[in-house]
Amino acid sequence: MEKLNPQQIDRIHKYLLQSGLSDGLLNELLDHLVCEVEHYLWIGLPFESALQRTLLDANAESVQKLRKLYQEELTFSEAQLAEASLDDILFQFRNKSYGAYSLRQSYQKTLVYALGGALGLGLMMIALLHLISQKNWSYWSPWGLVWIIGVGAVTGAIVMYFLQQERWESIPDHEEG
Amino acid sequence: MEQVSSEFLRGTLKTIVLKLLSEQNKMYGYQITQAVKERTRGELTLTFGALYPVLHKLEQEGLLINESVEVDGRLRKYYSLTDSGTQMAIQKISEFERFVDYMQQLFQTPPNLAYGN
Repeated sequence: MEKLNPQQIDRIHKYLLQSGLSDGLLNELLDHLVCEVEHYLWIGLPFESALQRTLLDANAESVQKLRKLYQEELTFSEAQLAEASLDDILFQFRNKSYGAYSLRQSYQKTLVYALGGALGLGLMMIALLHLISQKNWSYWSPWGLVWIIGVGAVTGAIVMYFLQQERWESIPDHEEG
Repeated sequence: MEQVSSEFLRGTLKTIVLKLLSEQNKMYGYQITQAVKERTRGELTLTFGALYPVLHKLEQEGLLINESVEVDGRLRKYYSLTDSGTQMAIQKISEFERFVDYMQQLFQTPPNLAYGN
């Protein structure tokens, strides 16, 4: 059985990419079309005409039709729709792993961390000014406590933010599985 | 010919896919289209535009599961029946066989019975 080389597979991949298919469907169609081209090669056609014959069936129109069909028929079921967020619906047929989906998903949390960090920085500034004007640096004075709280809030916000970013990376994997 | 068969094919796609998968452990999309082609000696062809929506619909209903395997540098998705899929396959196949039976009875009505003569 003749096999396509990576460049030839890439040509078909590029062709499918232009049609805006979602990730899962794209990979599946790619395998299908490559199989078909290999079949034509096997019965003796040169690559160019094998590709042409395959793409005759898989023309832009039929691929678009398929994509539309997916959007209409394979949407969420009632139960899923009740639980889905606006983002889930918006990104159902779009590329989630690109990043915009996770950015939107974590927006609320990021906002809270940013506010916490800003508040902490503010507390640190106020405490710093007071402690300097007192010319006496003591952690056990009221302003010293404010300083400690500020430092804690800033560190907490930064740590939580990075922990959340690590979680981002795993989101696409779970979705695909 | 093409037109007529595609009209009948549409209603039986699910059954065809379930039947093929019940005979083989796991299959991928192109393999299913080829199996249909081979068994009918090229008379029936499943287009990818008809096949994949059915596969994904069945998967969504929990009748199929898929696993992706890397083959020659690309991902290939194999489908296999779940437990409820196996049940459904048996049910659909017997339902369809009964339907074919009825159709045959319908078409083979003896002339002396036809139209109340």
